[in-house]
Amino acid sequence: MRSDMIALFQEYMGTGLIVIWYVISLIYLWIKEKRKYMRILFLYMPIILLLLYFNPLFAQLVYKAAGDEIYYRILWLLPVTVVIAYTCVCVTGQIAQTKPAQGSFFHGRTGMLADAAALCMAGAVAVSGSLIYSSPLFSRAENLYHVPDSVVRICDAIHVPGREVMAAFPLELVPYVRQYSAFVCMPYGREMTVDRWNYHDPLCDALEQDPVDLETLVPLAREAACHYCILPAGRKLSGDPQVFGWVWFGEIDGYTVYRDPAIELWNPETGLFQ
Amino acid sequence: MGVQLFILAVLLLAAPAVIGGLFLKTDKLGGNLLFRWVSGQFLLWEGFQLISVPLIMQEHRFSRLVQIFTGYMAALALLAVAVEIQRLVKGQKPSFAGKKAAGSGTGRSTGILLWLVFWGVLLFQLAQAVLLSYADTDDAYYVAISTITQEADTMYQKLPYTGGTTLMDIRHGLAPFPIWISFLARLSGMPAITVAKVVLPVVLIAMTYAIFYLFGRVLFPEKGRQLPLFLVFTELLVLFGNYSIYTAENFMIARSRQGKAALANIVVPFLLFLLLILLKRIQEKQRVAVSCYVLLGAVAVTGCLCSTLGAFLVSLAVGIAGILGALCYKRIRVLFPLAVCCLPCVAYALIYLLLE
Repeated sequence: MRSDMIALFQEYMGTGLIVIWYVISLIYLWIKEKRKYMRILFLYMPIILLLLYFNPLFAQLVYKAAGDEIYYRILWLLPVTVVIAYTCVCVTGQIAQTKPAQGSFFHGRTGMLADAAALCMAGAVAVSGSLIYSSPLFSRAENLYHVPDSVVRICDAIHVPGREVMAAFPLELVPYVRQYSAFVCMPYGREMTVDRWNYHDPLCDALEQDPVDLETLVPLAREAACHYCILPAGRKLSGDPQVFGWVWFGEIDGYTVYRDPAIELWNPETGLFQ
Repeated sequence: MGVQLFILAVLLLAAPAVIGGLFLKTDKLGGNLLFRWVSGQFLLWEGFQLISVPLIMQEHRFSRLVQIFTGYMAALALLAVAVEIQRLVKGQKPSFAGKKAAGSGTGRSTGILLWLVFWGVLLFQLAQAVLLSYADTDDAYYVAISTITQEADTMYQKLPYTGGTTLMDIRHGLAPFPIWISFLARLSGMPAITVAKVVLPVVLIAMTYAIFYLFGRVLFPEKGRQLPLFLVFTELLVLFGNYSIYTAENFMIARSRQGKAALANIVVPFLLFLLLILLKRIQEKQRVAVSCYVLLGAVAVTGCLCSTLGAFLVSLAVGIAGILGALCYKRIRVLFPLAVCCLPCVAYALIYLLLE
């Protein structure tokens, strides 16, 4: 357990440079800060929190109640941002108030010196951290739903007013489908995309194979009552979909949509099967 | 779209700012517009949690929750307006600025430049929140819950990943932040996914900086130039907070629509801010207003709304700060109202442990 806590703490620290700035800020406050309420909140409380965090008994209790994956969230109680920012401002303020000796280069230029110090500290923070938008998980939003356009177009195309439809999607689209439409159901969901959860679904496996073996896929999709199956347009198929009873529904944004007429789809609005 | 945005502006900006007038006596900053906005929103969140959890557990329709919570919101707004009118009758002007900090007058031009930098970087972040999308698969749960609730009128009774019906999901049902998003979507008519991924990030990121501003007002009560410098540093630390995916800053920018992000970046900072002004008042031998404890209670309940872990984190922070305050100032009796503030957290934690 101790190694788990330390590993989580190391992951939380990243390179550790910002945490070093935080520790330096704490030392500065320990020496300079005289207001008791500030010391309580910015010094004593974080120290107690860290002692608790590394206490195996405390960790065991939290692990049991809330699980081990979220133990790091205790560290959110450390006011890292406020403390570092406060210390930086205090340091610049202190520099601005210093009185260099007459004749020295800095005499009468302490304001400039403080500004330079502020710039240096800002640079140090920037170099120590990592720009949030540099994460590869960020991309330009394709629409006002912040999901891929292909998901929006496919869901709109297969939507039947007033009822749910069942559709099997490729894994890259799975996390987005039900964010956009609650009327599109899926035989498997986001759990398939998380490796550490170790979920397996034979239908998902069959749909992700390249080439797709229709002899395996079609019966599994029928068993899951899928009205539609969506396959990447470039994916090779071993077999002819028509032979297996599938009807080509359309090609949307690089995905081929097949309708399986063997699964009845009644439209409550028109009162007809479609 | 324009009407939808107007309704959301009323629900997320105007209504909380009006309701926040009920906390005028909490501190010198009580009249500050940003303090009013944040504290009003916490009172609304508290009400949402207290109303929604029993309804979720009794498997009521979502529409019922919308009716009751809209009534609660309207009642609070009317009460706040009535209190404001009463103040006007007594000859007090309505306050939106709080007590002004005494500026030193030095470095005025640098101060203006720093404010410009702050606003520029803030607007950049808000624009990025609209223009960039973050591929976080946790949205497949939280945003899907909001969408299902809005479209199917049920709460936590459908599987978010696939769509089948399910038994009540107690772990998530006790922290129904996604249902609050559905409420905003239902009243505005905007799709829940757009509210969650476009509108809320803008509002919640701005709210985090509003809390940093309030911190700055307490930390630098006199020096005009230091407040914008402090805010610029907080912006830098947020912008470069991607040194780990676990940091509060990462959650703030990347996953602001999720309850845990609100917990890390709004609930916890505002809780620490309230504890700061509480301890400061004790040190200065000033009376701690009842509204301060009411607000602390609202923050504690909001912690439960955001995440089931919120109950624990809020109680832990209040407990440690309370005990330290009681010891350092030799005022044991401060512990009693703080313990009362944490009672809802204890109740939610017990329900969770019993039903899980």
